[in-house]
Amino acid sequence: MSKRLGLIVALTLVVFAAQNTMAAQSLPPANQWIPQNAVISLELTRPKALLELLSGEKATAAITALPLYQKQASTPKFKEFLNLINFMEITLGTDWRTGLAKLTGGGITFAVCPEDTVLMIIDAEDEDMLQKFHEILLNMARSEAEKQEQPNRVESTQYEDVTAWTFNGKEAHAIIGKRLVFANRPEGLKAVLQLRARAASENLTSKAAYQAARRAAGPDSVATVFADLLILKNIPDIAALLEQSSGNPLAALTLAGIVEAVRDSSWLALGLDCGESKLIFRASVDGKTTASTSPVAFAIPNKSGEGILPNLSVPRRIAALSLYRDLHSFYAAKDDLFPERTSGLIFFENMMGIFFSGRDLTNEVLIETKPEIRLVVAEQEYDPAIGTPQVKFPAFALIFRLRHPEQFNEVAEEAWQKAVGLINFTRGQQAMPGLIIDRPFQGKTKYTVAYFSTSGIEDKTNLDPRFNVRPALAMPGEYLVLSSTDGLAQDLIDALHQETEQTPKPLAGTHSLVELEGGRLSSILEANRKTLIQGNMVDKGSTQEQAEANIDLFISLAKFLDRAKLSVGVQEGLTRAQLEIKLNLQ
Amino acid sequence: MVLQIDKPPAHDQSKQIHPAVTEKLTDPAWAWAAYQPDAQRPWTLAQAGHLYQRAAFGANWDQLQQALSDGPQRTLDKLLRPQADIAAFNRTYDEYDTGSADSLRAWWLRRMILTPHPLLEKMTLFWHSHFATNSANVKNARLMQQQVQFLRSHALNSYRAMLKGISRDPAMLIWLGAEANRKARPNENFARPLMETFTLGPGNFTEKDVQEAARSFTGWFVLRSQLRYIPREHDGNLKQILGQKGNFTGDDVIRIVLEQRATAQTLVHKLYRWLICETEGPDAELIAPLAKSFAKDYDILKLAEKMLRSNLFFSPVAYHRRIKSPVEFALGIVKPLEGVISTTQLAQDLADLGQNLYYPPTVKGWTGGRHWINSATMVRRHNLALALLKGSGPYGDKLNPWTVAKKHGCSTPESTPRFLIDLFLQGDIEPDVRDALPKIAKASAGADGGDLAEPVRRFAHAIVTLPEFQLA
Repeated sequence: MSKRLGLIVALTLVVFAAQNTMAAQSLPPANQWIPQNAVISLELTRPKALLELLSGEKATAAITALPLYQKQASTPKFKEFLNLINFMEITLGTDWRTGLAKLTGGGITFAVCPEDTVLMIIDAEDEDMLQKFHEILLNMARSEAEKQEQPNRVESTQYEDVTAWTFNGKEAHAIIGKRLVFANRPEGLKAVLQLRARAASENLTSKAAYQAARRAAGPDSVATVFADLLILKNIPDIAALLEQSSGNPLAALTLAGIVEAVRDSSWLALGLDCGESKLIFRASVDGKTTASTSPVAFAIPNKSGEGILPNLSVPRRIAALSLYRDLHSFYAAKDDLFPERTSGLIFFENMMGIFFSGRDLTNEVLIETKPEIRLVVAEQEYDPAIGTPQVKFPAFALIFRLRHPEQFNEVAEEAWQKAVGLINFTRGQQAMPGLIIDRPFQGKTKYTVAYFSTSGIEDKTNLDPRFNVRPALAMPGEYLVLSSTDGLAQDLIDALHQETEQTPKPLAGTHSLVELEGGRLSSILEANRKTLIQGNMVDKGSTQEQAEANIDLFISLAKFLDRAKLSVGVQEGLTRAQLEIKLNLQ
Repeated sequence: MVLQIDKPPAHDQSKQIHPAVTEKLTDPAWAWAAYQPDAQRPWTLAQAGHLYQRAAFGANWDQLQQALSDGPQRTLDKLLRPQADIAAFNRTYDEYDTGSADSLRAWWLRRMILTPHPLLEKMTLFWHSHFATNSANVKNARLMQQQVQFLRSHALNSYRAMLKGISRDPAMLIWLGAEANRKARPNENFARPLMETFTLGPGNFTEKDVQEAARSFTGWFVLRSQLRYIPREHDGNLKQILGQKGNFTGDDVIRIVLEQRATAQTLVHKLYRWLICETEGPDAELIAPLAKSFAKDYDILKLAEKMLRSNLFFSPVAYHRRIKSPVEFALGIVKPLEGVISTTQLAQDLADLGQNLYYPPTVKGWTGGRHWINSATMVRRHNLALALLKGSGPYGDKLNPWTVAKKHGCSTPESTPRFLIDLFLQGDIEPDVRDALPKIAKASAGADGGDLAEPVRRFAHAIVTLPEFQLA
C-alpha cells in the first residue's frame, strides 16, 4: 500500500475511532460480531464526544498555535496531507469534521484476537457517505496497484450476500449496510461474517469475563476496554514484568497491591468518560482483595476510613505521590517477599545500623513511621548569588509521619548528620569539596541543610550538576522531611503546618495517588532543552533537527497537559484505578 | 533471491611490490618523497580507501570516487586542511553540557562520525592514547572534557605546546597521582611517564633524571580540581637532568627532554606505527630525516603530512599493516553507510571490545595491534557488526546497505555485492573469498520476490566480518 493510501486508511481508522450512537437498525451491536476468543476489545460507543474534545475549536486553536505545528505546516508532506483532506472534503461534499462524524458516528469496535488477528468494526451514520468514501479508497488503491504493475492486488470476492474486498492481498474488509468491517487478514473477516450469519452463536458478549468487565466499566462510558488477563499474562514479556517487580524491593514497595491484583485477576476493564477539557479513565480488575495475612498487606488500608493523605501542595510542584505503605510490616516480611536478596538486605541493614547507632531497623526505626509516605517533586528556583547549574534537576523530597516524633527526632538528626559526614569524608579522601552543614529556621521550625559552597567560583551561571543538591532534613510537628534542597524543605515546612491546621481527611480505600502538573513539567523540560536535545542526538542517533523536533514535541505535549491524577485503591472488593487528565487547551 | 557478484574485482596492486620499488623502500629520500602515481604504482580505489582508513575513519562512496578523481595529493590537501567551516562545527560540538564521562564518550563518537576534519579527530584519538588518562580515577567529567578539548586543539599543532599544557593539566595530574608535589617529598608520578612514555622512551634516561625532574616540578598542586602553584613548595636548588645543570623548573624539564634526539625519534616512531605500519618497526636510518626535522619545531601537522604524502605510505609496507581498533572497526562500517547511529550504545559496545574512550587501561594507553584481536573480541566484533546492520534493536534502521547501494545506482542482485565489496574493501579481496561470499549471503527475498534489503544486510555483515576488513 502506498504511503498516501496508508495515510488515508489510517485517517479513516482514526476517524472511525471516535463515535457511536445507534448502528444501522437492522444490525446487532458490533460486539456481537467479535469472536469469543478476543484477547482485547475496545469499544468506542460515543465517538462524537471524543471528536468534540479533540477536534473542537479550542483544541484546534491550541494545536495550530504550536510552533512545532507551524513548522510542520510549511513542509511539503504536510501540504500534501492538506491537499488530500481538501480532496476528501470536495468529493464527500462536507467539511472534514462533519465527514468524520458521519462516517464514525455509530461507533467503533476494535479487537485483537489470537494469531495476530486485528478486527475493526465501524458504524457510520450516513450509509451513502460510507459507500462514497469506500469508492475513493478503492480508486486510489487501484491506481496505486497499476502504478506498481500489480493490478490484481485489488480484488473482491462474494461471501454469501456480502462483497469482501482487499486492497493489497493481505487485509480484508466489507461494507454491510452502514457498517464497515475491517480485518488485517482474510480469516479475521471470515470469522466476523460467520458470526453475522449465525446470530445465536457464541461471541464476545457471551463470555462471562467480558460481561463482568463491562459491568465494572459502567454503562455510560464513552469508551470501554476489555482485556483477557488469563491470556495476556502468558505473554513472556508481561509475565517477566510482573515477576520482575516482585524481585525489586523498591518496585515491590511502590507497586504493592497493584501488581498482586493484576497477577490474581482474570480480566481488566477500562472505561473512559470525557467532559470539557477533561478525560477520565477508570480501570478495574477482578483480583481478590489482599488478605490481612498476606505479605503485601502492608499496602492495603484495612480499617474503615483508612487511606492515603492528599498530596502536599508546594510552589512550582511538578509531581506528587502519596502512598499508604506500612514500612515496618513491609520490611518485617522481607524474607517472604525477597528470599533471594537476603545478603543484599543484610548489608543494607548493617549500614543502617551504623547510621542509627545499632538500633534494629525493623523494630526500632521503621516502626516509628506511620503508613503514610509522600513524595514531592518541584522545579527549583536558583539564587543567582549562590549560582545556577548548567543542567537543572528538579528538587524532590520524601515526607514521613512519625509515631513518636519527640523520641525519634534526635535519632533521625544523628543518622542524617552521620550520612553527611560519611559523604564528606569520602569526598575529602578524593580531594573533592564537601558539604557544609547549617541549621537555619523556617518560621519556628529549625531544620538542617548541607550545601556545597560556591564562593571562589567565578562563573556562577554554569555550575556542576552537584550544585542542584542542598540536602535538608526538617521535622515540623510529627512529620519528617528528607529533601534534596533546602528550598523545597522550606516550602514543605509551610505546607505541613498548613495541613496540620486543616486536619485533612484520608482518602478512604485509596492506597496510591500520583499527580502530575503539565505546566511545570514543560517548564523544567524547557530549562533543560539543550541537554535533552544533545542527549537525544547521541541516544537515538538523530540529527540536530530531528532531536529538536522530538524534544519540542515532548515539551508541546507536556504543555497540553494541565494536570493528571492517578489514584489506586480497593473499592467494593475490586482493585480500581482512576486516571483524570485535564487538558490545557488555552 | 541469491546475490551474485557480476565480475571479479580489479586485481589488487597495493600488495604487489614491484622489484624496482623494493629496492627504494629502504632509501629515506625516496621513501619520504611525495607519492606520484605511475604505471607501476597507480592510484587505485584500494589506495584511496587506504588513505581514508588512516587519515580518517573510513569513507563513503562519494568520498572514494572524489578521491579517485582528485588523485592522492589533492585528496590529502582536503584531509589535512579541509575547506569546510570547521570552526562552526567545533563550536557546536565544544558547547556540550558536560554530564558524565559516559555521555562524553558518546558525544565524541558522534563527533568522529560527523566531523568535516576527520584527521583532527583521528589524531586526537592518537593523543588520547599517548597521554592516556582514565576518567575512573579523575572522577570529574568536566576535567576530562577539558583535557580532550586541549588535545584536539593541539592535535595537529606544536607538540612542545601540547606537552607543556599536559604538564599542567589537572586531569592528567590527578590520574597519575601527581596532584601534590612538595619539595620535602618530590612526587615522581608525572616525571616518570613524562620521560618514559611522553618523550624519551625507556633506556634514554636514568633513575636520577626522574628524581631530579620530579624536584623541578615541585610546587605544583591540583586543589579542588584546579591547578595551583605554591612557590614555597618548590625546590629551587640546583638539579642535574640529562646532563644539564641548573635551578630548573617544570618548564625547563620540558625544554630539556624536547632537546634530546631520543624524544623526536620516539615520537616519530610512535606516529609511524599509527599512520604507516605497526607490524614492523622502521629502521633508525629510515626515520632519521623525519626525526631530525621534527626535533626542530615539533610541528605535528608537518610530520603527519610528510608521512601521509610519502611513497612509503602508498606502498605495501603500509597497506593493511595495521589492525583496526574497535573505534576504527565500527566507524568503518558506519561511515560508508552514511548514517548516524546511537553513539551512547556504540560507546558501550566499544568498551566491551576493549576500547573504552575516556577510560584507557593504563598510562601507556591502548597497546593496539594484535592485542585487539582474540577469540573473544572476534565474536564481539561479529556481534557488533550484526547489531549495526540488522536494521532493528538498539541501533534501529539507521544503517541500510541496500539503500546506500541503490542511491549509488547499484540495485540489482549482481551489482549490489560488487558495490559493497568496493565500498567496504575497495575491491581488495581474495578470489576464493569473493566466490564464497554469495553463498554466505544466500537468502530468499520477500514474498513479492523483489525485496533485497535483508539479503544485502547479511551480505554486508559477511563482508565486515572478513579478516580483510579487520585490517586498516
